[in-house]
Amino acid sequence: MNDKKFWFTFGIILIAFIIYWLLGHPFFIVERVTMLYAILLAAAMLIFYINKAKRGEKIYLRAIPGLKAFEEAVGRATEMGKPVLYVPGIQDMDQVETVAGVIILGHVAKMTARYETALNVPVARSIVMKAGRESVREAYIVEGRPDLFHEDMVHYLTDDQFAYAAGVNGIMMREKPAAVFYQGKFYAESLILAETGNSIGAIQIAGTASPAQIPFFVTACDYTLIGEEFFAASAYLSEDPQLIGAVKGMDILKVMIIAIIALSIFLRVFNDLGWINFDILKYLTIQ
Amino acid sequence: MFWKRQIPIAIVALVGTLTLFGWFVDQPDIKSFVDDDATQWYDILASFAIFLGALNLLKLQMQKIIKRKKGWQYSIFAIGGFIFAFTVGFLMRGAYTVNINSAGETPQVVAQVVAGEIGGTIQASEVLLGLIEEDAPLMLEKVHFTGKSVNKVANQLKESGADAKIIPASWGAHLTTNGSFFNWMFFKVFTPLSATMFALLAFLVASAAYRAFRIRNFEATLLLGSGIIIMLGRVPIGSKISSWFVLYVIVLLLGVIVNSWKRNRILTFSTVGIGIILVTIAGIYMGWPIDRPAFAYLPKLQDWIYLVPNIAGARAIMIGIGLGVFATSIRYILGIEKSYIGE
Repeated sequence: MNDKKFWFTFGIILIAFIIYWLLGHPFFIVERVTMLYAILLAAAMLIFYINKAKRGEKIYLRAIPGLKAFEEAVGRATEMGKPVLYVPGIQDMDQVETVAGVIILGHVAKMTARYETALNVPVARSIVMKAGRESVREAYIVEGRPDLFHEDMVHYLTDDQFAYAAGVNGIMMREKPAAVFYQGKFYAESLILAETGNSIGAIQIAGTASPAQIPFFVTACDYTLIGEEFFAASAYLSEDPQLIGAVKGMDILKVMIIAIIALSIFLRVFNDLGWINFDILKYLTIQ
Repeated sequence: MFWKRQIPIAIVALVGTLTLFGWFVDQPDIKSFVDDDATQWYDILASFAIFLGALNLLKLQMQKIIKRKKGWQYSIFAIGGFIFAFTVGFLMRGAYTVNINSAGETPQVVAQVVAGEIGGTIQASEVLLGLIEEDAPLMLEKVHFTGKSVNKVANQLKESGADAKIIPASWGAHLTTNGSFFNWMFFKVFTPLSATMFALLAFLVASAAYRAFRIRNFEATLLLGSGIIIMLGRVPIGSKISSWFVLYVIVLLLGVIVNSWKRNRILTFSTVGIGIILVTIAGIYMGWPIDRPAFAYLPKLQDWIYLVPNIAGARAIMIGIGLGVFATSIRYILGIEKSYIGE
């Protein structure tokens, strides 16, 4: 989508929405209109920066040590002649973190294909197994090494949380992988896995959006992708301008949110002091 | 290519848009699709997919045993466990009870059998006798795993003159019936095993905390300090530690900082000396209350650490996560992220 198309589409959506609004906006939940504006604005911002990146404009992304360490970890496993273990979390494909985990798996698989290193991906959900297999298969084909791919690289263990943790721990203790990746949604098993990985001396890189598990991973792993870093990993690793543009858009959105928070604090204080008659919380609270 | 590329992208875009904008629309059909139908479709797909997973598990474990790979002995347990759970869940009811419709002409004899069945005493049998004599069906609570075992009891009751009937648990309900074979397996085998894994966390948290709290740099020291304050502030002894004691400790720590920064004995001594004098004067002036000044009282201090810097950091992470989720979803809806179709 070039700039002309973007503004054209944006204009059409805007006009359609205005017409819909003037017609009495049937079925629309009016209390949620602020949220709709926010979503449209955020989406427009992302598309704008994606287009910018597509035009070839240089976009600066700050270096994230955890992402730089991906290649290093696979390289280390190659040098040691040991496998790479990839854990895509314990949730299903309906969780966006698992989706992100499977996307990153594709990038890791490209590296293992390039370096001819064994890859082991135990999963806790059958659908993740199928999606993971496709991702790894494509990665090996893209790298020109379909001969190294075999379906059982991505294999199912169990749906149960602690049985899965026990299974993965068993794999770690028996195979002693040199690099372990935890990328996905985790719960209480995070520390069980990460501490076992630590005990076998593997280089460990974690990435999750589960806030409660981040401290455990930070403590036990060598590198941890926190929150949005985890979602940006795919863009960093693929170096695809479209995805990098989306990351830039995300950063600009963050700046906007900080500005809105700061402005809202002032507006709220002024409202409390009675200087203005405008309660910003009424608009910012999700109805 | 059309079926493998355009169609999946179109489905993702359509369902994604519908789910996203369905939140703004109060239309029953759209709401029911977003809230129920779509998730039910997913559940149905996932239920079928479980067979793929189970077959994959069995295949790999069998291969391990056949090829005598490292740790192949464990695979025997894996396959054995799978077959056992499958049999108990799908092929066996594992839950039979006996109903006594009437005690017949010799209720005392029936009561003796029932007492033996429930492991009761004569006193219990007397109570049971009363129930039986009322001529209302009596369901014996004991659940039998097998038909053979329940038949034996039913036959004994029949021989004693009672009108007894075997009631098997219905399929499906046999999984949740209290005392059923599946229930027994779940609560006596599976749950303790899971609890064992979970219990490991207690030890792992200790080793992780040791690593995290080692003083290596400024951040780790900060973490250690916050950790000590939170831990002490949340236990009963924390509320017994006077804030003045904490203030004296702060003065001494200040001395350590000044000494490592300036490396000057006189300056360090002056800092500590002046600090101790100031704290003592303030203490005498205020009458040494245990919880004043509040900023040095551990329960209050831990509250502040927990509710202000901690929540601020957690919210910052949450905002980042929210944005990440949103950006990923938009990339999917717009067809920019196509890795799910292998691109």
